[in-house]
Amino acid sequence: MREEELETTLFALGRQLASPRPTRMADAVRARLAAPRPLPWWRRYALAPALVTAVLLFAVLLLGSPGVRAAAQEFFHLRGVDIFPVPSLPTLTPRPSPSAGGSVPGGGVPGDRVTLAEAQSRVHFTIRQPSRLGTPDAIYVDQAEHVTLVYGAAQVVEFRATVDAGFFGKLIGPDTKLEQTTVNGDPAFWLEGAPHFFFYRLENGTVLQETLRLAGNTLIWVHDGVTLRLEDQVSKDEALAIATSTR
Amino acid sequence: MEGRPTEESALVERAKHGDQDAYAELVTRYQALAARTAYVVCGNEADAEDVAQEGFVKAFYALDRFRPGAPFRPWLLRIVANEAINRRKAAGRRPTVELGVAHDPPSDDTALSPEGAVLATERRDEVLAALRRLRDEDRLVIAYRYFFELSEAEMADALGVARGTVKSRLSRSLTRLRETLERTTVGE
Repeated sequence: MREEELETTLFALGRQLASPRPTRMADAVRARLAAPRPLPWWRRYALAPALVTAVLLFAVLLLGSPGVRAAAQEFFHLRGVDIFPVPSLPTLTPRPSPSAGGSVPGGGVPGDRVTLAEAQSRVHFTIRQPSRLGTPDAIYVDQAEHVTLVYGAAQVVEFRATVDAGFFGKLIGPDTKLEQTTVNGDPAFWLEGAPHFFFYRLENGTVLQETLRLAGNTLIWVHDGVTLRLEDQVSKDEALAIATSTR
Repeated sequence: MEGRPTEESALVERAKHGDQDAYAELVTRYQALAARTAYVVCGNEADAEDVAQEGFVKAFYALDRFRPGAPFRPWLLRIVANEAINRRKAAGRRPTVELGVAHDPPSDDTALSPEGAVLATERRDEVLAALRRLRDEDRLVIAYRYFFELSEAEMADALGVARGTVKSRLSRSLTRLRETLERTTVGE
């Protein structure tokens, strides 16, 4: 069918299309308006934790899609880490942070526990260590070449971000302070105050649900093309001192 | 179709302040179009009526978000269409709808020879069959343009998209219609 024919046919079809019988809808609408209005669904279910998680994940997905990311007015970005300030954070039970005990960093990026030498052989960048923290208690590495160094209560995650790869996201509420700073002259972010949500989003857009957890004070910086993230309950000055000691 | 715009905005303003008589007048004015829009998406008259009523109820409660002076018609259509699409989703979106034509020998085709009329009816039925299989959103865009003959600005408002993207939206939907049309006619 030629384009013109198709258009003519569509116009004609529009005139011949069946349509609902004319009714006195005004009365029906008035009756519905007089009935007590049921709570909107989000008010009815807003307190169900599973739904909150689902909604949050959805928000995260939405924020993660390229168009929205580009359009977001307030959104902070540092090689592989995106920070989204949101008006409020849903309440979620915090997951434990990675520790030296677990076989995978609980709630962090999944990975295998390895020696430093093995971790180094599995990734294509030089693993950096903040000398101020001493020797790591445990080292993990995952398929996406994320290395996690655990030092007691502190942890450092490092990776080389690539364009279009998955990214770490942080969802921060109004009670989390976000500060732009520098480490050795390179851009860095310092997050302090109320815990914020942390998640990892794969290349295909899926948010790893097990990575959705609350995180404490965090410093994110870039060192020689490698993005490092330090999580520790320390002051900003101490975090900066740790970051500066990275070799 | 456009009515008297000043009067319409006055009605909207009164309805916004809770005047249900004013709102009833708006309902009467747009009930046919609202029901037809819902019908294009839902494909059956009973659902269409219910969706249109619900759309009017939702629009009433949303009036405080209505920008004063903006055209009411596309704003209302957007609410009704969303309601219809959500209803279809909730019902598990059967792949096809039962859209139909009201009367057979089209009175407006009297200029055609009997053979021409038969051909036109055949073509119409093919297009209708393809429309029934189209995604709800595509069917809606096509209906706005060809059935309700909305302007580009109205379509942008009714679809909730930027004005500049209306043309490309429509052409994408038409392409999908054409593809469906080719598949069905070849298959028969």
